[in-house]
Amino acid sequence: MNMEGSSLLVNINVLFFAKSRELAKTSRAEFTVESVIKAGNLLNQLIDSFNLNTISNNLIIAHNENYIENLDTEIHLHKGDEIAVIPPISGG
Amino acid sequence: MDHIKLTRNKIDINLIQQLTIDKSCGACSIFVGATRDSFEGKKVISLEYEAYENMALKEMGKICSELRVQWPDVKHIAIYHRLGNVPVTEESIVIAVSAPHRKAALESVSFAIDKLKSSVPIWKKEIYENDLIGEWKANMECPWPPFSETSSRTFEFSSCKIEHQIDNISDNKLVQIKVNDSELNRRVKCFLKRKRDEINLYNIIDFRQQTTDPALLESIVGKDSCARTQSFLVKQQQSKGHLKVCRATYNSGPQVRPNYSFQLNKLMTRQNDQYEAAKCKVLRNARLQNIEDYMHITPDDDDNIYNRIKNIENRILMLESTSPEYKYNIKFETDLKNIGKRNSKKEIYLSDRLNEFILDIKRQYEQ
Repeated sequence: MNMEGSSLLVNINVLFFAKSRELAKTSRAEFTVESVIKAGNLLNQLIDSFNLNTISNNLIIAHNENYIENLDTEIHLHKGDEIAVIPPISGG
Repeated sequence: MDHIKLTRNKIDINLIQQLTIDKSCGACSIFVGATRDSFEGKKVISLEYEAYENMALKEMGKICSELRVQWPDVKHIAIYHRLGNVPVTEESIVIAVSAPHRKAALESVSFAIDKLKSSVPIWKKEIYENDLIGEWKANMECPWPPFSETSSRTFEFSSCKIEHQIDNISDNKLVQIKVNDSELNRRVKCFLKRKRDEINLYNIIDFRQQTTDPALLESIVGKDSCARTQSFLVKQQQSKGHLKVCRATYNSGPQVRPNYSFQLNKLMTRQNDQYEAAKCKVLRNARLQNIEDYMHITPDDDDNIYNRIKNIENRILMLESTSPEYKYNIKFETDLKNIGKRNSKKEIYLSDRLNEFILDIKRQYEQ
């Protein structure tokens, strides 16, 4: 594990939509997290912090408007980055 | 040219068609998605769309690029998606593509709507007639797992694709069901409900003694069992099929009655009589103590109530001889009567004597 990366904390913006927005009771929040983190780990932290347990298996995240397809992906976060919690989509 | 828009107003289909008109194009294909008024028999009264707007526009742009790669002839593309409240029957999505020939136009529109449903971050909430909280929907095309509550209602055909159809069934153990989707969904739902009931039944049975006779089981479970667990089972993410109980609620039983804990505590108190007696003793001691305080007596033996009463009597006799008026202020007659029945005879005798005695003194004093 990269000790240098894991010790650095950054502030990011988290966006919530649809059901996750209702459960989190907010559409936007600030969050402090390690700057280098696995997507799955970040998602779990968000689930715990924002009351998303009931839909925990149904969420993915987007980093700066790009889907993170694989939860094992390591993301490099910078201050002010945008992470969106994306429940199953239903457009069209 | 690509026309991409998220709008809160009614979509004008004519306008969109005009956007795609081009002298070189002999075909314009338009897909219009509209809102339905019912879902599984529930009446939809309104729909609400929300989007991660910046990302949605970006994803819609990606769809346009993909279209142009796959069908290089495509001339103009317009993708309009409505947001906010959309009344039933109105358009929620319009996709129009123009091309020199119809094949590219038709195929690309079809591809575009499929792609949009699986990749553009837009969400739809249906609000039903008798359930104003509403429900967030999930597209079948959505590549990640939809809400379990939705998946329990609709069968996920994508999870087990039918590889080959059997036309002539020779094996009489196999049955081919030929019904439409809604009928199949209904049957799957019924099956899930029956399994749910079965699990509930076995939960109750497990909770009780081991009985195997089905007739006996029926009678036990029907009335006499106190087990009423409603468990919710979920498949664990990385499990190979084992279920874990994530929540259990107990809808009936003594614990739901009002004042349950109070009643329980009352029942758990070891001896009611002892408690009453102790209460009585405390009360009696308190009254006695008040009298003692009032008369400045320090009890030397707290436990012996007779000694304490005797002390009071002595004090009264002493007071009688010094300041008899005092007696009227503290009203010993009624107070001492309540201290204990065993002493009542003495008290009455004492008070009567006191009364007479005092009246005598008064009379003498007046004379």
